Amino acid sequence: MKKTLGKISLLVIVLALVLSACVTAEETPEAPAPTAVPPTAVPEKPAEPTAVPEPTEVVIEPAELELWFSGRVSEAAPPPDDWVAYQIIKDELKIDLKLVMLPSSASDMDTKINTAAASNTLPDIFFANRDAWYNLVQAGLVAQVDDLLPLMPERTKTHYSNPARNALVTVDGAMYGLPDPGQIPCTDALVVRTDWLEKLDMEPPTNLDEFMEVAKAMTFNDPDGNGKNDTYGYCAFIDGTGLTNMGLSPRFNWIYGAYGVTGVWNLASPEEFGLNARNPRYMEATQFIANMVKEGVIDPDWPTLKKDDYRAGWKQGKCGMQMENFAALSTKSNYKAFDENFPEGQWDVLKAPAGPYGDVSAGTIINTARIYAVSQKAIDEGKGPAIARLLEWMATDGYMLLAFGQEGVNYTLDEKGYVSTEGIDPAFAWNTAEMQPLTQLANMVYIFSDIELQARYPSYKTINGRTMEPLKYLAGFTDQPWTEATGSGMINPPANAADFTRFYSENIVNFVLGQQELNEETWAAFLEGLDGLGAKELEATAKEALLAANYWD
Amino acid sequence: MRRSLAFRDEPVFQILLTLFLLTVLIAISLPIWRVFIMSVTPLGYVDRSFGIWIPPWLWSFEAYKQLFNHPAFIKAAMNSGIITIGGLAISMVLTVPLAYVLSSKNLPGRKLLVTIIMVPFLFSAGLIPTYIVIQRLGLVDSLFAIMLPGAVSVWNTLIMKGFFEGLPEDLKEAAYMDGATELQVLWHVILPLSKPILLTISLFYAVSLWNEFFTPILYLNDNDLQPLPVLLRNILMAANINEYLEYDAFSNAPIQAFRAASVFITMLPMVIVYPWIQKYFTKGTLLGAVKE
Amino acid sequence: MKESLARRILVSRSDKTNEAVNLPRLWRKIVKYRWLYIMIIPPLIYFFIFQYLPLFNAQIAFKDFKPLLGVWKSPWTGFDHFVTFVNSFYFKQLIGNTLIISFLKLIFGIPAAIILAIGLYETCFKRFRALVQTVAYLPHFLSWVIMFGVLLMLLSPGDGLVNDIIKASGGKPITFLTSPDWFRFVVIASDIWKEMGWGTIIYLAALMGIDPSLYEAASVDGASRMKRIWFISLPGILPVIVIVTMLRLGHILNAGFNQIFVLYSLPVYSVGDILDTWVYRQGILAFQFSLATAVGLFKGVFGLILVVSANYAAKKIAGSALW
Repeated sequence: MKKTLGKISLLVIVLALVLSACVTAEETPEAPAPTAVPPTAVPEKPAEPTAVPEPTEVVIEPAELELWFSGRVSEAAPPPDDWVAYQIIKDELKIDLKLVMLPSSASDMDTKINTAAASNTLPDIFFANRDAWYNLVQAGLVAQVDDLLPLMPERTKTHYSNPARNALVTVDGAMYGLPDPGQIPCTDALVVRTDWLEKLDMEPPTNLDEFMEVAKAMTFNDPDGNGKNDTYGYCAFIDGTGLTNMGLSPRFNWIYGAYGVTGVWNLASPEEFGLNARNPRYMEATQFIANMVKEGVIDPDWPTLKKDDYRAGWKQGKCGMQMENFAALSTKSNYKAFDENFPEGQWDVLKAPAGPYGDVSAGTIINTARIYAVSQKAIDEGKGPAIARLLEWMATDGYMLLAFGQEGVNYTLDEKGYVSTEGIDPAFAWNTAEMQPLTQLANMVYIFSDIELQARYPSYKTINGRTMEPLKYLAGFTDQPWTEATGSGMINPPANAADFTRFYSENIVNFVLGQQELNEETWAAFLEGLDGLGAKELEATAKEALLAANYWD
Repeated sequence: MRRSLAFRDEPVFQILLTLFLLTVLIAISLPIWRVFIMSVTPLGYVDRSFGIWIPPWLWSFEAYKQLFNHPAFIKAAMNSGIITIGGLAISMVLTVPLAYVLSSKNLPGRKLLVTIIMVPFLFSAGLIPTYIVIQRLGLVDSLFAIMLPGAVSVWNTLIMKGFFEGLPEDLKEAAYMDGATELQVLWHVILPLSKPILLTISLFYAVSLWNEFFTPILYLNDNDLQPLPVLLRNILMAANINEYLEYDAFSNAPIQAFRAASVFITMLPMVIVYPWIQKYFTKGTLLGAVKE
Repeated sequence: MKESLARRILVSRSDKTNEAVNLPRLWRKIVKYRWLYIMIIPPLIYFFIFQYLPLFNAQIAFKDFKPLLGVWKSPWTGFDHFVTFVNSFYFKQLIGNTLIISFLKLIFGIPAAIILAIGLYETCFKRFRALVQTVAYLPHFLSWVIMFGVLLMLLSPGDGLVNDIIKASGGKPITFLTSPDWFRFVVIASDIWKEMGWGTIIYLAALMGIDPSLYEAASVDGASRMKRIWFISLPGILPVIVIVTMLRLGHILNAGFNQIFVLYSLPVYSVGDILDTWVYRQGILAFQFSLATAVGLFKGVFGLILVVSANYAAKKIAGSALW
């Protein structure tokens, strides 16, 4: 056996030697002087003639650009080959655009971008999640974009003028990504089945005690009257696992909010900054959730449910109260299943209940960005101006075309200037399934203006003729106290992120499920464990980063 | 054919065996049936428990219809077909000779060969090192990037080698006496005797090629090249993400129905091809008939 | 012609060692098997390009891999990544979970497939056999995402079928999927359920290769069915069983990423988190490719030790081995 082992190791060594000879030989001509590119960012602006805006007409140089984007409707096809926009981009902008639609699952997307990055073959411009983007910046693969902003004045005004968002992509004082508006804030909040409340003859709860009473009644008093004990007062699932969503995830944020400690981080001021878990109130809030579990008012599958199964639950009439996304709850296609199942059912906004100390918060507001990164390679190849040209066009002349298609073909404008589909061939309406490929790039142009919201979330009638207004839910959600926590999106993961987040989340869940006793002693041990994994160091570096980004100014 | 298969020879054994197989059959088919029911559940059907039964007149094939009608469905299915058939051909052309050579007991250097194929089996290079090679070879955006990297499965090779080793040595010897070369022996003596294993290994290769979704996501940027599993995955994963959408196309059936329907669509080729393969699996006397 | 050339070479250095005396015989053997050597050229080229070149790139496990510098020019770090991995907070638990889940799958999965294969082979009802066979293969095609849905419907403490039965018979519902006591059982059982039928294919193919005259002879001698299975069928497929077992031992630290990734949740991390899920969370998504590669090589060393010792044992005990 020793012989075999020896042989194997010998073979590996020999092969490695042979291979090293081959690969070095093959590498020299192919890699275009990798040492010429500095691995870290260059602090000074490189002297680029086109970067200085001149009053004289700049000659447009034709360019080829490859763009990896996340489609607006990732299950539909990308824009067709004869898409009008391609021609316009080619004729007017002199850009030969190659589009690649990224996979819809976030992890598939990260993997695809990371592998391309590892082989140094990133496209010219691409969409990236923040963590992935941050790592690419560290690796020196993503270019600084401050010089591009003056080349696209209009887009900078509409997209890149929000200091909080810009801070998300700022590293050492320079911007390394284009922070497009990420999502509408306050989209997820509490809702309640008002038809059940009526049947049970109860009022919407205003504090946690009342909440528990209603939850019990909805669980045990057969609110749907089907004679079976198959309903729950509260439904949730563990949504998200990253550093910003550790613990039980945002679906329980309003409970922590009722104790004044919503979100993972306390971002109130530099002095108070740190993990909310260090606040004893955080333990009390966790205790309250543990009680909900003990009382059986929460769907027992919650720790293992995936988003789909969770949503199937409320659509099948299992849930009395939940924290849900307004669009996932109320837009026509999402509401359809529930409407068919329970035409009498009705969800209404439930204002976040107050806690024992009088605190109220519906959750955290985290200003997010859809980050488009420009690869260092593209800048080195002089493609910067072309990229700026394309993006500027998208935000100006190309905006309506990319967001809604061609006027008169895919949409019309009504007298108030809102997007409408009246008077056009319904088969070509911008919001039909067949026309989805035409607006795949919409995520790159959306700014969440009133026109967009009205067009995207129109009102409609339910089976019973009730009017559903998705934007009314959104307004009701927004009109509550929220806790600003954008800073938590700027905290970069530590080297042992996987172990740290696991330790944090696993312990909280086990406390809540009663698999681990919850008292002051065990809680102290939990905090000690976190410190053992570098919580203090993480807090210190995070604070530094936030101060550097002028987060509290 | 096979002797003493008659029931009356061993009634007790056969009854117990049948009970055992019946248990397996039920244990396996019940959940499968449940997945099927899931795929035909109409919108507006309230079912909160282990719904094993929906009256057939309520069945809705909306999920299947919408998946089949996806504009990219046919192209994706064709890409999958090309990948499966092309990849299978490449795999078999490489695997059969390799397995045969490994099964030749007296071949000088045979142990070295086994070592050569065992090292990559045990030590997986991992995602990034492999990607860099494929990218350098210029295979990104080519279907070969899906068919080539996994063309030889060490697992399948060794199984086939094991089978070849089990074939009677004297058959080969007889052929050599007649002056046949190794190539002729493989072609005229070994392969005709090895139909069950050839089909088995082909099936393994074909099924894994048909279901491949990860490498296409990595290596194929061109949407026109994407195979069926990638399309289905995109449709199903999107359901998690499209909460912001006003879009109405995939709302005529519950998302669970789409998931379940995609399973049956993926199984379809297997269900069609399998009975044809099974014919060869029952010819148990093949070997005996040749051997004296 | 070739032979004479070889001889000439040999003559020129025949004075070296007496080992060289054996060379003509070896050379004659090589010439005799020349077709075999020609035959394996394409597979060897394949292995070189698609297996060994990536393995060569796997040197990033010992380097601080920087994409801009490429594999070759990235600076060496020695065993730093291995040390990081071994010293990581959950290392022992991860190895333990991986080994336990993997071994249990092996110990229960392989016999299950063998028993079913023999059962299918022995039944006298041909149509029935074809039906069972076909149905048994189907679960292999279910993705784990779908399986999760099915398991949820079976095992949910609220309204799952199994818990309905438990409740009806007066028991307390069991949280199979989120209870550390039950999670591994669910993992093993669902894996066997899914792969048992597919696993029979190999053994059936091997059973087809058994010489029927052996059965006839045994039958004439009056051996019972069980005896025939024990003394003819099992030894007949033993080489295949050995190969399958050894190959699975080689991958013992792969406990089934896709399955665990879908089935596990925070309450059961302590019994369900395995190497691959950790690498996924820590290595790939967090851009630590060198670390991920290092873990891959670590698994390889582990597998190598197991396969080599198992090969030795198999040779001694079963008289049949991988090489």
